[in-house]
Amino acid sequence: MASNAHETVDIYGVKWSKWSAALSRRFDIIVAIILFLAVTAAFHLHVMLLVGDWDFWVDWKDRQYWVTLAPVITITFPAALQYVFWEKLRLPFGATFAVVCLIFGEWMNRKFGFYDWSYFPYSLVWPATYIPGAIVLDVTLMLTGNFLLTSLTGAIAYAILFYPSNWVMLAAYHLPVEVMGSLVSVADYIGYAFTRTATPEYLRFIERGTLRTFGGHSAWVASAFAGFLCMLMYIAWWYFGMLMTKVVTVPNKMKTLMGLKADPKRSVEAI
Amino acid sequence: MFKFLKKYARQMRLVVGLGLLASVSGQVLAHGERNQEPFLRMRTVHFYDMKWNTTEVPVNGEIVVSGTFRLFPEWPGNLPPPKRVFLGNGTPGPVLARTESWIGDVPAIQSGQLELDRDYTFRSVYKARIPGNHHVHPMLNVEGAGPLLGPGNWLAITGNREDFRLPIDTIDGTHIENLETWGVGTVFKWHALWFAIALVYMLWWLRKPLLMPRFLATEAGNDDLLITRGDRMWGAAFMVGTLVIVVAGANWAEAKYPRTVPLQGGEATWEPLPKQAASVKIAVKRATYDVPGRSMKINVTLTNNGPKPVQVGEFLTAGLRFVNHDVPVAMANIDPLFPKDLIPPSGLKVGDNTPIAPGESRTMMLEATDAAWEVERLTSLINDPDNRVGALVFFFDADGNRSISTLSGPIVPFFGAGK
Ligand SMILES: [Cu+2]
Repeated sequence: MASNAHETVDIYGVKWSKWSAALSRRFDIIVAIILFLAVTAAFHLHVMLLVGDWDFWVDWKDRQYWVTLAPVITITFPAALQYVFWEKLRLPFGATFAVVCLIFGEWMNRKFGFYDWSYFPYSLVWPATYIPGAIVLDVTLMLTGNFLLTSLTGAIAYAILFYPSNWVMLAAYHLPVEVMGSLVSVADYIGYAFTRTATPEYLRFIERGTLRTFGGHSAWVASAFAGFLCMLMYIAWWYFGMLMTKVVTVPNKMKTLMGLKADPKRSVEAI
Repeated sequence: MFKFLKKYARQMRLVVGLGLLASVSGQVLAHGERNQEPFLRMRTVHFYDMKWNTTEVPVNGEIVVSGTFRLFPEWPGNLPPPKRVFLGNGTPGPVLARTESWIGDVPAIQSGQLELDRDYTFRSVYKARIPGNHHVHPMLNVEGAGPLLGPGNWLAITGNREDFRLPIDTIDGTHIENLETWGVGTVFKWHALWFAIALVYMLWWLRKPLLMPRFLATEAGNDDLLITRGDRMWGAAFMVGTLVIVVAGANWAEAKYPRTVPLQGGEATWEPLPKQAASVKIAVKRATYDVPGRSMKINVTLTNNGPKPVQVGEFLTAGLRFVNHDVPVAMANIDPLFPKDLIPPSGLKVGDNTPIAPGESRTMMLEATDAAWEVERLTSLINDPDNRVGALVFFFDADGNRSISTLSGPIVPFFGAGK
């Protein structure tokens, strides 16, 4: 045993031997790396499948579907991780961590899959950011300490912040250009120039025509709608996080048939 | 060592052989157009009068692909009709940058509807981007039916990818030097900034004992030690900072780009070429495909309803052009840059090559024999649920005027033995 085995240290009001404390730090690092990779893979896959083209291409980032879908689909893992991080560890960065993983995965995908392998320029395939909304969501949970209040305020803020925090990057792509006598945005023209053989123009599911909003502020209307959905999505995925941390065992009935002692009754923590 | 080599010589030859085969067939197969079922290539869109302005071009050089296509009147019943169509290009990814595309005189930047049994001219202009040898096809993407490819031609692009530029000027006078990189600097900067902010925010807790200690302390209910006043201040500062940065950023973007437009959807409306009544009516009496002989034989009755005597000049299907060598004007109709592998050397054999007089109705054989049937995998015709052949037949009169008729009919395979 190490020499510091008997020296103790107080961590957050709990007594630890120095040796165990050092070991637990190593455990922190290993778990952090594994968690980073696992969340990156899972969350990125989830977003690729459910937001897909809206976040792949600059000429799909419209004021309606992208603004609605992206926040609603991406508040999921943050909510679930917030449950685990906050309820079990009192760590106020579940959402930020999830979103950092996601965006890291997206950039790897854009660099190696889209840019190197498929020749798409970054101007066509850059991903959106969700970090501002995630920070606000995390701080809301820390300050309120209540997931319901967080869903009512933070989740809505998460949706509302999505568009302005990405408009910084997107605005340059919405300058008007004249091509062959028609008006298009720079984004439209980039999508047209760098052809996606298997993704013809008509597949683009973008805002078509008027949204019948006042003064054409469709992005804000879509954001508000997204906020409402985010509120519900947040609660659903908070519960998902709760379910994921339950340890449930199912008794193995086969054991008795093989002459072994039967398993104890199904163990379920109260859900 | 040598003994080892000798022992495994057979296996090694196999590996090397397979490798070579893979690299060669990679060139030959290009990008899978031959995997499309024959009915998709024979009875949907026929591209003709195809022209490529060049087959070798440096990076930034211009490529113009033009021609005419006809939508087959007997469009396969299992495909949705061409209600929404986009004029694409079959290339291995964005190796070319498309700068213009037209159907007739109308831009084809958007999708639109096409009519069956009508002809449309098209023209696409590209800028060479990625060096290499690329197979370039015209293509129609039909909603619900997928991509329908025209004939492919090899295009060699020389030079460096880094030299590529695609400049454009916006309506409000902003000059964009290269659309590949436009706005990308801003994107990188903002992503980097938010990453940095997120990491600093998390480091506040990451630097302290993390998992087990926090878990045990949470279980013990030591909340006030886990989240302190300092933690709350830190978080609040980040929340306020985040809001300030988002608002400032959005305002900066609004000020820098005050005039923006939303993504443009909309549909295009294209006019077909004026309809010309086919001067020759084709009735298929019997069509057979001789599998081992790689030969399609079609017994047809041709009725000349036109004012002048005509000869059969060309039989065109699935991009293959079987040309009647005995009709000089038909031979002259082949563009020098048209891909040679799509013009079977033996051409089209016609039962009776004497001109068909106006009003005459003549029954005779058309025979198209070539390994191309196999190479282009059109022999899998016999696997189609609806075994029919579809083609365009070109007729020429003595003055060189052309009229185009569509040929369509059931086809019977012949496997060699017996009947
Ligand atoms: Cu090809």
